[in-house]
This record gives sequence, C-alpha cells and structure tokens, in this order.
Amino acid sequence: MEALRAAFDFSDFRPTERWVSRAVAAFLLVFPLLPVSSFATATMIQFLMFSLYGMGWNTIGGYGGQVDLGKAQYVGIGAYTTAVALIRWDVPFWVSMPVGMGFAVLWSFAIGYPLFRLRGHYFAIATIAASLVLKDLFEVWDFVGAARGLEIPAHRFATPDFVRLIFKEDVYYYYVLLAFFFGGVLYMNAFRKSRLGYQLRLIKDNEDMARSLGINVHWAKVKTYAIATAFVSMVGSFHACYIKNIEPEDTMSLDLSILIALMAMLGGAGSLWGPIIGAGILIPLKSYFKEWFGARAGLVGMDLILYALIIMVVSAVEPRGIWGLVERHRARRESA
Amino acid sequence: MDILVSSVVAGVLIGMVLALVALGLTIIFGVMDIVNFAHGEFLMLGMYTGLLTADATGMDPLLGIPVAAVVGYLLGIACYWGFIRFLLRGPMVAQLLGTFGLMLLLRNLALLLFGSEDRGVNAGLLVGKSVAFGMGVIVPATKLAAAALSLVSFAAVWLLMNRTRVGKALTATALNAQAARYMGIPTERMNALAWGIGGATVTVAGALIVNFWSVNPYVGLLFTMIAFTIVALGGFGSVPGALAAGIVVGLLMEIPGIWDFVAYATEWDWMMDVPVTSFKYTFVYLAYFVIMVVRPRGLFGWKH
Repeated sequence: MEALRAAFDFSDFRPTERWVSRAVAAFLLVFPLLPVSSFATATMIQFLMFSLYGMGWNTIGGYGGQVDLGKAQYVGIGAYTTAVALIRWDVPFWVSMPVGMGFAVLWSFAIGYPLFRLRGHYFAIATIAASLVLKDLFEVWDFVGAARGLEIPAHRFATPDFVRLIFKEDVYYYYVLLAFFFGGVLYMNAFRKSRLGYQLRLIKDNEDMARSLGINVHWAKVKTYAIATAFVSMVGSFHACYIKNIEPEDTMSLDLSILIALMAMLGGAGSLWGPIIGAGILIPLKSYFKEWFGARAGLVGMDLILYALIIMVVSAVEPRGIWGLVERHRARRESA
Repeated sequence: MDILVSSVVAGVLIGMVLALVALGLTIIFGVMDIVNFAHGEFLMLGMYTGLLTADATGMDPLLGIPVAAVVGYLLGIACYWGFIRFLLRGPMVAQLLGTFGLMLLLRNLALLLFGSEDRGVNAGLLVGKSVAFGMGVIVPATKLAAAALSLVSFAAVWLLMNRTRVGKALTATALNAQAARYMGIPTERMNALAWGIGGATVTVAGALIVNFWSVNPYVGLLFTMIAFTIVALGGFGSVPGALAAGIVVGLLMEIPGIWDFVAYATEWDWMMDVPVTSFKYTFVYLAYFVIMVVRPRGLFGWKH
C-alpha cells in the first residue's frame, strides 16, 4: 500500500517537470489517433520498447552504477519462452510472459551471483561474455530453431487475439505496450524511493561505506539485477509477439545490449526520465537516418556513422547525458 | 595421433598471433585503465592496410606490415589526442560507451570505403605453400611466418618497455601516474604513446592475419572478445602474461580438433554427435567468465 502511494506520488519533481511529463503522457495516449504513417507508429513502438529496456537497465546500471552490457540475453530468454510456448503448446502470452520472466530471473541469479564480486570493467566485459555464450548455445539448439530462429504462424489465429497478443494492426500493439510503459514508469517511481533504491545509490557512490553501514551489498546488487532482468524479459516476450520472427542474431546480439545501455546513458543514467529521453532521441534518429541514407547507394553505413559520432560527442562532453545538461543549466541559473 | 599433434601445433601458432592482437589492449589498459572496445576495429583496419598495400603495389602482403605499423601508430595517436583524452575525465560508463562509439564509427567507415564483401589475399610469396614437420603435421607457411613475426614484435615491445628510457617512463606512468608527473614525466604524452604502440602492434597483427583469414568490416568484434579474454587470463597490464595467455587461448580455439581426436580414439559415439565446431569461440568466452570468477587477477597480473 505504501509502495503504491509512492508510485503515484510525483510531488518531489518540479512543477515544470510534472507539466512536461503530463503533456508527454497525453501525447502518447492520443498519438495513434493523429494522422500518422505506419512507419511513425512502428518507430513509436520501438521507442516504447527501448524506454522499457532502458528503465530496466537504469535500476542496476543507473542507480546502482554497475555497467551491464549483457541485457540482450534476457531479451532472448523472454522472447524465446513466449515463442516456443505459443508455437508448441499454444500457451497464451499472459501465461508465457511471467514464465519467461521467471526463467530470466533464475538465469540472472546464476550469472549475477558469481559476477557481482567483480567491479567496473571486469563486470561489464563478463556480462558480455555470458551473453555471447548463451547466444552460441541458442544458435545450435534445435528445440528453439537453432540459427534459423522461430516464426510464429500468425495466420493460424483470428485477429485481434488479445489472449495470444497477435494483431494485424500496430495500433493494438501500441496500446498494450503503452500500458506496460505507464506501469514501468510508476514502478520506477516507487523503486527510486524504496529502501533498495537508496541502498543502491549509496553503493554507487561509496561501496565501502555502504558495507560499513550494514548493507548487504552483494545481495542488494543481485536483487536489483533480477528486477532489471524481469523488465527486459517482459519486453522480450512482447517483442516475440510483435515481430513474430525471432532469431538469436536479432534478439541476443551484443549490439542490442549496448543499445539498451546507450539509451539510458544518453538520456541520463540514474534519473527517472533519463531512459525515456534517451530512447525518445535515439530511436527516431536511428530509424529516420536509416530511412534517408540506408536506401541510397554509396552511402551504406552513413546512418551508423552519424549515430556513432553522437555517442562519441555525448560521452566526451557530458557523460551524465542530456539530463545532466539540464541539471547543469539549472544549477547555473539558481546560483546566479 | 596426427590430428592431435596438428591441432596443438595450430593452436600454439595462432595463439602467438592472437597474443600480439591482445598486446596493445593490455598496454593501453595498464597505462591508463581504459578498456578499448574499438581494439578489434584497429585490427580490421590493419588487415585492410596489409591487403590494399599488396593490391596497390603488387608486392607481397608481408611487405605491407611496416605500412600497417605506421598507419596503426598514427591512428592510435590521433584517437588519443582527438577523442580518448576527453573520456578520461568522465566516469567509467562514459569510457565504455565512448570507445564503443569509436568502434561503430571505424566499422562503418570501413563499410563505406571498402564494401561489405569478404576479401582475402590470394597471391604472395608464402600463400599456398606449407611446411611439413613429420608425424603428419603440415603447417601453412603463412601461419608459421605470422607466428615467428609475432614473436619478433613481442621481443621488440619487451625491449622498448624494459630497456629504454621511454619504456621506463611508460611503466612509471602505469604504476602511478601522479607520482610520475611529479618526477617530470609528461604523462599525457605517455598516454598518447601507449595508444600509438597499442595501435601499431594490433595493426601489425592484422597485416599478419590477413594472409590466412579473409577480412570484412565486421571481423573486429570477434577479435575484441578474444583479446579481452587473453588480457584477462594474462593479467591486465602484463606483457609476458599476454604471450602465455595468447597461446592458451589459441589452444582453446583448437578444442574441436582435440575433441575429434578423443572421439575417434575412444570410438564414443555420443562425442561425435556433439556439434563442437559451432562452439569454437564459445570456449573462449566461457574461459573469460571462469577466469574472472576464479582468479580476477589473471596469471601474471599486478594490477587490480
């Protein structure tokens, strides 16, 4: 009950922030009613998915300061659980999604328990290695379709199918995901004010002090890692139903892991709005760059070159991301 | 028996080359605690440099090595002064993502300039020749030359680090940058030098590898991961550690050959059914995982 009240309580934000966030929420609610192209809707769905991935990453990576570059393996676990369950046993999405989250959390304990003894770079690279091992296993495992992947036979079901989450129009997917998105924001709002949230911020600032105050640092990290995993796996399950065709190369690649971390980093790690801002900027840029440059001969890879330059400039100029810029501006105005 | 011996020989030879790939990473990490995700991309550019020099001049690909060394040195220095310098002020997250951005940039520039198709060396002094050692062991001459030249490069770097004033200054910077600055060592320039040496060694490795490994713009990531494993096993910052660990990792990559030998020798059918060749690199990633958990310092590490 206490947690629920905390989730809906945004009173510690400034009035401007609250107004902007209300306006954005209203815009997201009416977006499909506006006369927009299907390409724009698809981009918005990507935006919502990556905001959720970023929120998950932000718990451990932002508040906890543990750079995790292996999130894609949990996307894969969620996506594969849902796809296999639907194809083989016709299990509805709403059942397979929690099951997938359970698998992902179990795997996260197996990975997180030994790895959280490491710090910094060592931890980051180890998460990559773990993710690549899992991907290699999925690429030869016949039960999940090996390297060819799986395809959900959407034509077998009468659409719109709210139980299996199979639709023809993107609008349905948009609203389902939007519900997840608002749920995610509320959860994160409660999380940042929870006991675990405060413990994590202390661990990030000074791990030894946290330990001396009696916080079980290792267990706090493992728990938070499980929360981050559950978020990511949930969106992974959605990804399977939305894309309908999954293979290890798209759902478990290192590029996806890095992109997830990048969204949160660019927006501002360790703040509620950071992942949303990051995804809101990077995803449209990525899809429209690809649209403009991708098709043109002689400019292959131009979109990713611009993208890489943005990453490099942000990490060199303001490592706290765009939210860091806002806060710096505020601090300057208040001191003046 | 000959399968086993040739697997082991192949593993040791490729391991020496891989050790040279990892050498630059370990020097850079030792001097300034920064992990370079773009390392494999430097290697890829070295491979293209070797290949294109051979194509443009009609000379043997092995003669592209000095060109590759110069290109790598300049690239490393340019990356440091133009970009990495600014990352060092920020937190570790920014360093990781910044070098990842550099990796994306180099990879896609290569895609834009060289195209996406696989290219390899198909003519040259050593290409297609092989040396027989008896016991059924036949080694391609390119791999033998690459391993030998890797050892030479290692010796050169070892001499530079241990027998020259510059090398001592570099080691001092690695041990304690602040104290080194008080002693009048220009640590900024030492950092840049570390990037130059790191870039040069890895592009030389690339020019060696291109003789028996085809190149495309996406080849880098695999080598980055292999190099991370070698550096972790050998100990972050350790030069002799990198050589020993490189050979171990080379042998790990030959596990499929050794597996086949055991399967045939014992006639265990279940072993033949395992698609072990698909796991060629999985063993390397797994090794990183196990090393980090069991012995984070690595075999010869002095830095933690």
